[in-house]
Formats: sequence, structure tokens, C-alpha cells
Amino acid sequence: MRPGSSILSFSAGTLLLSGIPCDRLNEWLPRAGCVFDPRAGVCRCDALHLRQVVAELERRRIRFENQVAVPREVFWKAESLCELRPEQTAAVEAWLQADRRGCIVMPTGTGKTEVALRIMQLTRCSTLVVSPIRDLMYQWHRRILRSLNYDAGIIGDSIHRVQPVSVTTYDSACIHMPNQRDQFGLIIFDECHHLPGGIRRDAARMSAAGARLGLTATPERPDGRHEDLTELIGPIVYELSIAAVRGKTLADYDVVRIPMHLSASEQRRYDMLAEEVQTYVYQARQVNPGFTWEQLCMSSAVSGEARRALRAFHGKKSIEDRATEKLRTLEDLFRLHGNERCIVFAGSNAMARDVSLRFLIPCLLSQCGKREWLEILEGFASGKYPAIVANQVLDEGIDVPAAKVAIVIGGLSSSRQARQRLGRVLRRSGNERAILYEVVCAGTSDESRSRQRRRHESFQGVRRKRGRSTC
Amino acid sequence: MLTRDESIAAVDYHRGLVIPDRLNQRTHAAYKSLAEQILEVYRRGVGKRRRELHQEVHRVFAQEPECPLRRIEAFCKLLDDQSVYASQERRSAAALRREVFSHAAGLHPLVERMDSLFENSAEEVRRQISQRLQRDWQDISDSLFADVIDFHRLESFPGYAGPRELLSRYNVAQIQAALFSAISITVRAGADFKRILRAGRLARLMHTITAPQPGCWQIELTGPASVLRETRRYGVNFARFLHALICCCDWTMEAMMESRGLRNLRLHLSSRDGLRSHLPPDDKFDSAVEAEFAAKWGEEDREGWSLRREAEILHAGQKTFIPDFVLEHVTGRRVLLEIVGFWTPEYLEQRVRTLQLFRGVPIVLAIQEANAARIAQAVAGADVIAFRKVLQVKSVLEVLRGLPGVSA
Repeated sequence: MRPGSSILSFSAGTLLLSGIPCDRLNEWLPRAGCVFDPRAGVCRCDALHLRQVVAELERRRIRFENQVAVPREVFWKAESLCELRPEQTAAVEAWLQADRRGCIVMPTGTGKTEVALRIMQLTRCSTLVVSPIRDLMYQWHRRILRSLNYDAGIIGDSIHRVQPVSVTTYDSACIHMPNQRDQFGLIIFDECHHLPGGIRRDAARMSAAGARLGLTATPERPDGRHEDLTELIGPIVYELSIAAVRGKTLADYDVVRIPMHLSASEQRRYDMLAEEVQTYVYQARQVNPGFTWEQLCMSSAVSGEARRALRAFHGKKSIEDRATEKLRTLEDLFRLHGNERCIVFAGSNAMARDVSLRFLIPCLLSQCGKREWLEILEGFASGKYPAIVANQVLDEGIDVPAAKVAIVIGGLSSSRQARQRLGRVLRRSGNERAILYEVVCAGTSDESRSRQRRRHESFQGVRRKRGRSTC
Repeated sequence: MLTRDESIAAVDYHRGLVIPDRLNQRTHAAYKSLAEQILEVYRRGVGKRRRELHQEVHRVFAQEPECPLRRIEAFCKLLDDQSVYASQERRSAAALRREVFSHAAGLHPLVERMDSLFENSAEEVRRQISQRLQRDWQDISDSLFADVIDFHRLESFPGYAGPRELLSRYNVAQIQAALFSAISITVRAGADFKRILRAGRLARLMHTITAPQPGCWQIELTGPASVLRETRRYGVNFARFLHALICCCDWTMEAMMESRGLRNLRLHLSSRDGLRSHLPPDDKFDSAVEAEFAAKWGEEDREGWSLRREAEILHAGQKTFIPDFVLEHVTGRRVLLEIVGFWTPEYLEQRVRTLQLFRGVPIVLAIQEANAARIAQAVAGADVIAFRKVLQVKSVLEVLRGLPGVSA
């Protein structure tokens, strides 16, 4: 091999290596999965492996020209990071020790963002922060501005402003990562359990960043793909359990379940729709014994009857979701906690708007602009707004000012969601215990969802008051 | 374009084919009238909210026995794509909310049944706000969430020329949506291969070209990471490419789909499928100079040379070079002719770099006078004809006569 004849370069989210035979590379770097690309006449592998490739070539004293852009250094003008708590410092240390690659698992409300900001401050190189939704992306932008005094670039939400430190969403990162001319030295995946899903993992695979940090409260995924995080980001380097911080960082909390009944007319309509759905499924099973409801939803209804059954099903769900009794129960709870900050979680946008319109309290919806979003959250923090309502958009990671009362009125049942939701009210302030109310319709599928939700470990060992009916 | 949620495709496991939903006059005769009816819903729907329009479209299909829900939703999407929704009310919604909620904040909680402790009745507060804003409460509550997509109001409907155009757009849109799951596309092209290749490049795809038989090229289109794994990340690029492809003629296409289960499914399409693009076809000739020259040369031989357009393709890696013309002599000898017309300096530079790659190929360059000297120097060895405005047939023949080994 002629010295200096090898070239390593970055191309569309992959690395190109010319001048070294591919089987040789595979022998040296079995985990990088190099493939010869006849279209370009060179070897190609995922940009993810840059650090490993460079280290191996250098170890073997192979001379090569590295054309991959070197991540820029970042100088923070004036940092105003708050003092870290011992467990946060431990998390930072653990990540540094692990060769700057790994995931940190901490319950919501224990300051993951501050850990990440400290890591950014120490790493001092170009950084990309990837978050699940645009609202969170803007929140990162604000936190970076406040703590590190840096106006980060934004990639996503129809904005493409790349800076050495930028924030983006998973979907935008997946699309734009191959086009990245500037390389990032550190990539941070917020709520990183979202990463392994389908094509989104390209956000990690197509980045050449050597330092990688994943943040999550709930690393496990039902599909088992969380194991891939080890390859895409790194192993779990620090884990803080919810039990370890309850009552310290987080408030202690009670769960109160309030069963309620549909009104007579709602119940009549509910039963009618339920029967329509059952009849359809029954008839479909006469023809095809293996028929399932999911099949109908997936293949999308073809016949008029199927479409009607599907509509009946949605009507049924909407009655559960938007039962008028829920609004009355809510009124009672607001009376009970008249002077405490309450946050209401609705199962759908429509219900969130119903609540907002009935009580004239602000409603956090995805269509809210970032200014309105900020105004609502700040108003809630300052006490201007005593109560706010939100849909599932608030489930993850959004910094909500401490609330002592959370009321869940419908929503999907999944342990992760429930845990994240709990996180919202768990913020410590004083010695007060927090209360989580669950308002569910008795005798509907709402009830079984609540049961599932409670089965999860976050609820285990929690002091539970006896459920009581409202007047 | 449709999204995955509106995509409908049947799978023929026996033949291993994905068949996107397609409405044609023979099997779906009723749809012409249905399409006309839903166009009418939108034409008359100015001022209505998106949700109402969608509900009306659903009602049009209520009596249609065989119609998947997704098809109705796809139509709604295509109609929305060609609609203009009002933005004024949308913009003021946030300010209105802020005003209403700020007023109510001090009076929380608004109750329906008053008691001695809580005496702010919801009704009373609504009345106060209504008075303060000098607007009817019904009107306020109606505008409060006007920025929610479902509540946008239709302002105008440029729409489609007629039901035929809507249906033809639907058919193309379903194929595009199916291609979101494609991992590669192979096109066999005849006369239009240059345009097809260019379309692939515009869609940011990489190509591999083979020539299974003379006059027929096979172009495989994939993305950079496709060699590493089966990936559908270039599906959107394929969908974009499809639009340009259906403007071309004389081609067949096979898309390899993301594998489901054990089999790799394919999607077949050809220029004979009668698909129409709503985009105008691009020009056949790169420049007027070429078109004029071809017209002047005519169909017959001249001194034993016949002229064929874009009949040869040279490639080195991802660089391809398709000279404008191939001149073929009765003896079988071939000479390439490239016309370099009026272009920007950047284009010329790129052209020169490409030409240097293919040095050694018998090529005649016809270059506009102003640039002739520079290019001739850069591409040493090529025969150069300088022309002022129009390339003359006789000057080309002169050069051909002068070629070594060609007897006049």
C-alpha cells in the first residue's frame, strides 16, 4: 500500500474509505460492517463508527488522509449553571469515565437536563441535542441560552439554522443528519428510548459524533429494542431509581382514584354503539373465525358496515373520553384544591379543549406557538394561572413548574406514560405531599386502562387513599 | 403527497407484488361522479371549517358499498393540498385565548353550582368577558381555537380542473405513497433515459447503469446507505423521482420494497400504464442550438454519417456524460458530438472537468466562440469547432472529413 494513499471521508451520513481493501477492513474492524460500494469504488460504513475506525487505523500505523471535518471547539461566554446535587455529579462522572459514551437513567424531575448541560460545558465542543418533539426542542434552546448563554441553532419546525451548538428533533435529525457539513463532537439524545424506533435510529447511525449521551427515565421498550442503544449511544453508565429519590428530590405522593358514571343518555348511546361494534365483529367472525378488531382498524374498513362499525367504536371512545360527568368531577376537585396549582391531563385534544372552554383555563396544545407556550408555563409558575390543562404532549420531559395536584381524566394506559405523568407532579417544593387523581368511567374500557396503569411498579408501595365517589 | 396513513396497497403474495390502489373507469365507474361531488363540496365550501368539509366528503361516500376509509381520507388530503385556508383568524386566536384566560384566572374555579365559598359562576364570567370584548360569547368560543387544524376555514379552492384530474392525481399519489417503503428502483429506459437519469440525480439518488441490449439502458437507483442495509430512508426520494419519471416515455420500472416476512415484494410500473403527471414535461432539448442543429441535419445520411441524439452514455463512477449526439458512419465508426452553448462559467468549468474524465474518447466539441479557446486548451486532443450563434452542418462535416482514417 502506498503511504498516504488512503482517504477517509464523510458522505451522506456514511464514511468512505478508499485505498484499503474491504476484507482487510472487516478483519480489523469487525463491528463497523464495512461494505464495498461499487457505485463509488470505495468502502462504506456508518458514520457512527468514526471513532473506532480512526483509532484502529492509527493503532496499526496506517497512513491516511482524514477528510472528515473536525468538530469545532466551543467557548462558553458566561455560564450560569446551578450547583449540581451529589447524584447529578455522580452521573456526570460516570459518563466521563465511560469514555464519553453512554446513557444516564434518571426519573423525570431529578434534573437530567442539568446533567446534560454540565456535560456540554465540560466537553466544550460542537453539540447537537436531539429531542422527541419540537416543543422539547425549544425548551432545550431556552435552557442552553439561560445556563450556557449560547443562542443555539435550530434544525426542525421548518427552521434550518445550523450552529456549532444546535437543537433538533428525532425526525429532523434523521432527515438532515446526512447533509450535515459541520460535524458535531457531542450528540445528546433526550428521552433516548425513542431512538431505536425504525428509521429514527439513522439519527445516531449517520452521525460521526464521538461523544454520545442518552438521557431517559425509562430505557426499556416493549419491543426489546432498547438493547440497541448500547451500540447506537453506549451502555447505561448511571441509573437512579425512583424509589431512591422519593421524598428527597421528589415529593411523596398519593394516588386517588375516582370512579364516575356516564349520564343516562350517554350510557344509552354508549351501549348502543357497543352493541353495533359487537354485532359487526360477531358477524365478521362467522365468515372468518380469526377476525380481530385490530384487523379492521389496520386494513381500514372497506364495506359500508365496516365503516359504520369503526365509527361506532370511535364514538364509544369519545363518550368515555368526553363524558360530561368528568367536567363535573373536575369542578369538585377544583373546589377542593381552590388555592393549589392543578394540572389536568386529558385523553384527547378535544377533551383538553372542552376543559379549557368550561373552566377558561389555559390549554397546552401542540398548535400553541412557542411564545404562547412560554407565557402559559410562566404564568403557571408565577401563580397567575391557578390551573392548566394539557393533552399527552406534556407527557414527556417538558419542564412544568411544580404542581401539587395532578388530575388524569382519560388517556392511554402504558407504564411509561404513567410514570412520566407522575413525574410532572412529583417536583419537590416544601414538605407537601402531591396528589394524583385518576378520574375514570365505571363500567367502560376506561376502567381497565386505569387498572393497567396502576399495575406498574411506580405505583407499588405508594400510600393509597381509598377511592371515593363524588357527590 | 399522501402520507403513510392514507396509503392503500394490496399485496399479491403469489406473484410477490405490491399493487397500489388505483381507480380506473372500467372498474370504478362510479368514482367519476363521486369525484365531481367532492370537488363540489370544496367549491361551495368557502367559509366552512376543515372538519365540516371532511365530514361532507365522508357523507358523499356513505352509500358507496366498497370504499376503504383510507381512500376517503386520501381524497380529503388531496383536496386540502389544493386549498387555501384563511390565516387571519388563526393568527389572532392565541391573543384571544390569552385575553380570555387572563381575565378568568383571578376568578378560578368557575363553577356551575354556586355556594358560599365559590361564587364565580361560569355563566357570569362568560358574560363579563363577552361585554369586555364587545363580542357575542358564541362568537368568542367559536374563534378561541381557530388555529387548530380541524377548525381552519376554507378561503378559496383553486382545486383541480375536473374529476378526471383529481382521480389521476389520486392514482399517482397512491403509487408515491407505496414507494415510501421502497428500498431501490430499477428503470429500463429507451429514448428518454437521459431525462430519467437526470430526474434520479435531481432526487438525490445514486445510480448504477448497465446496457442489457443496444438502445436500452438499465438504471438502478438507490441511496448512499443502501449498500449498508436494506433501508427505506430514500422512499421520499423515490416518490419525488416518480413524478419526473411519468413525464417520460418508453420505460418500465421495478421497485424493490422493504421486505415483509420472507419475501421481497416488488412494485411494477411502465410508461404504458397511462399515468399522467400534473407537472409540465421538461424540454426535450437542452438548448435551442441542439434542436436547430438536429433539424438542419435531418433524417438522412450525410456523406455516410447519420446523426442520433443522446444515443451513447459514458460513465465513470457517479459521473456520467451523455454527449448530445452520436454520429455513426456506414462503416460502423462512431464519433461523439457535444455542443457547448451559452452557459455560466461554473457550468463550463464542470463541463471541462467531466470532459477531462473521458479523454481518449473520439469526440467533437462544438463550442461557442467566446469560450472556444479556453475549453480547447483544457481538453487537449479533442476536435473543436467554434461557432458564433448557430452550429452549421457543413462545419461539422468538415471536421469529420479531416478525421484520420475517414475517406471522403
